[in-house]
Amino acid sequence: MTDLESKLTAEIANLLDDKKVDVFIAFKKAESPLHPQPAFFTESNQLGDFVYNSLCQNNLAAFIPRYPLSARIGMVVRGCENRAVNHLVVEKQHARENIFMIGVPCEGLVDWHKLVNRFGEEMIAVDEAKDEIMISYRDRQIRAPRQELLHDSCLRCVHPNPLSADVTIGELKPEGDPTLARTEVAAFSALDNAARHAWFRKEAERCIRCYACREACPMCYCTECFVDHGVPRWTESTVSPAGMRAWHIVRAFHQAGRCVSCGACERACPMDIKMTYLTEKLNEDMRTKYQFECGMDDKTQPPFAAFNLDDKNRFEL
Amino acid sequence: MIDHKPKIILFQCQWCLYSAEDQTWVDTQLPVNIHLVKVPCTGRINTLYVLNAVQGGADGVMISGCLPEQCHFKEGNLGARRQLDQFADFLDHIGYERNRVRFTWLDLQDRGRIQRDLAQFEADLTKMPKSEALATRVGGHHD
Amino acid sequence: MSQILPKKNLKQLLSNWAASYEIYAPQQLEKFAHFMPTNGSELLYIDEQHNTRFPPKALFLPQSETLMKYTRFGAAQETIPESKPRIVFGIRPCDAKAVDLLNLMFLTEKDSDPYYQARRKKTALIGIGCNIPCPSCFCTTVESGPFGRQGMDALLTDLEDIYLVRTLTQTGKTLFAEYPEATEAQEAEAKAVQQRSLKLIDPAFETKGLKAKLDSNFENALWQKFADSCLGCGICTFLCPTCFCFDIADEAQRKERVRNWDTCMFRTYSLEASQHNPRPTRRERTRQRVMHKFSYWLDHVNKIGCTGCGRCVRYCPVGLDIRAMLREFNQLEAEVANG
Repeated sequence: MTDLESKLTAEIANLLDDKKVDVFIAFKKAESPLHPQPAFFTESNQLGDFVYNSLCQNNLAAFIPRYPLSARIGMVVRGCENRAVNHLVVEKQHARENIFMIGVPCEGLVDWHKLVNRFGEEMIAVDEAKDEIMISYRDRQIRAPRQELLHDSCLRCVHPNPLSADVTIGELKPEGDPTLARTEVAAFSALDNAARHAWFRKEAERCIRCYACREACPMCYCTECFVDHGVPRWTESTVSPAGMRAWHIVRAFHQAGRCVSCGACERACPMDIKMTYLTEKLNEDMRTKYQFECGMDDKTQPPFAAFNLDDKNRFEL
Repeated sequence: MIDHKPKIILFQCQWCLYSAEDQTWVDTQLPVNIHLVKVPCTGRINTLYVLNAVQGGADGVMISGCLPEQCHFKEGNLGARRQLDQFADFLDHIGYERNRVRFTWLDLQDRGRIQRDLAQFEADLTKMPKSEALATRVGGHHD
Repeated sequence: MSQILPKKNLKQLLSNWAASYEIYAPQQLEKFAHFMPTNGSELLYIDEQHNTRFPPKALFLPQSETLMKYTRFGAAQETIPESKPRIVFGIRPCDAKAVDLLNLMFLTEKDSDPYYQARRKKTALIGIGCNIPCPSCFCTTVESGPFGRQGMDALLTDLEDIYLVRTLTQTGKTLFAEYPEATEAQEAEAKAVQQRSLKLIDPAFETKGLKAKLDSNFENALWQKFADSCLGCGICTFLCPTCFCFDIADEAQRKERVRNWDTCMFRTYSLEASQHNPRPTRRERTRQRVMHKFSYWLDHVNKIGCTGCGRCVRYCPVGLDIRAMLREFNQLEAEVANG
């Protein structure tokens, strides 16, 4: 158990023992080395399996809308998860006073796609040190620089620190460089229309419509999604180009002003589909057009919920 | 250049044409290449409608609505402006050119403007190549 | 008796076959292996020790399939696919067995699915064994193995620069007719490779008595525990080589009736028109997947509906592991039915 894990365990045990929370959402060790499992602790004696490392790929805020508003929930949060919680509070999916967040400044997540694509499926364990990842096979061990294996969203992360956690454990990290995401969006936008379209098709048409991106996203909490509708049928139900493209367009657009750039959608995808080039474009537009960044506080409404008459002269007439 | 008339989908707020002549023209005399979808307010236009038009092979989409402060439902048009404008930008991001989605926000005095705007839009679209990005149901054939 | 196929001859062999067969073989899609058509000129991706990410069941039961086309005036035309002879090359034993299991569902004596039949009947499966299984593989636990032969027409064993070919059916024999017989030393080498591989896979859970334990623990609190972590996405079932649930829908804009894969993980699964759902929460849906494979399949065809390919284990975004789930049931007692 790492130093961070023991500090977190002690903190969580206190919360549960003092009955300050009804459930504590964190991770526990799973058999697969690449995917620690979200776990729901209700007693401090369950914390034996507790684990917290860079392979904890899910955004735990995705589990919050499952609970009634009155449930007192505890969570370990990184920067992005903290922002997701904030925005869920804005959208009234939970009450801020009923969430207790233990913040951990984030080192960045190790992307399992990058691990598997580079080191194959035969890994039996993955461990981490400060700047290195150790990959164990049955008969040997390999080391790789951590930076090369971080998820793309983490590489361009601006706010790795929790913004409004109730307790923060660990040293705060320096803020990230906001120009990184902007540069990537700009580079994509600089391509001509045909090239952008070709890229979009190539990515979207690998989709198997398993909707893992939707289920992994903290903001996709609609109880009925547009693709689930039989009548009216909003888009084709098949894995045809029409259906797959419509899914990717509408999924991303529904996140406009609501995406916290955690990248959980991409990490959940079994087909290695890139999605953040869509959501980052929308995030960038929200920043430049409306000076809005999702989840920075738990009060500000997103731009599409907060239109006003000042828009009068904003658009072409 | 395209050899036939571009296919245009017109989403029209039912309150935005203040002159009865304009409304009659839209209702009865639209050219055959322009398809009318009348909505109770621009705020009712789901982005999925626009997407469906685009996937159905529309060369252009025009949305006509009321100016701010003149919305029949007070502020339906304000939300619509933000969302649909952003959606047009987003479609451009994945290859459906921005100028294929156009808005015309009409004022009380704008008699005859809808005809002029549609004519201009059609002229502009004629100069562009046929829209292929995103179209998945063109003329009954599918890819 | 086995034959020898030198690796350098593989391309030639595939292009010979391509004259009369459609060939599908694992190739690189992005960074992973995926079954795609080939005529022998493409670079194959089979020396990798792991399986394709997307299961080859899609070659027989496509994720979306048009059943019929219709017109506004009531005319309807079934669209049963024109079948060309096909070869699926480089299929792993777990997936070949899965195709064989699907036959039990779609090619019964009483009733055959014409769409599945058209694709399956004319397809030969040329498999390749797994020299180094993944830690997530558990084929040996569910009556298969890294060199299992069920469902295949021929099985290849990778011996560095040659493949040792074991033909298993008449089709297999015809396809490899030209190749020389293996020496005894080569046979022995292959056997050693196969046994080494077999030893690398540990039993994952106990299947004996498992069905009774699952059946009698239908309402056990464990199901809720698993469902808590489950996201409700379709990865485990869509990537599963044996999951075959489908949903039939009308695509009115296309004037087509289609069949899409369905998954018990979705909230629309078994949702009725009245909006009643007999499996209303994740608990029932998570249970359905496990029970279907390890209990209902046994009821219907007396076979376990899992081949141990490990895809659901490897790609679950929340690390839910069917092996661990079943081990928890191994621990429980089966209730003795009273009276």
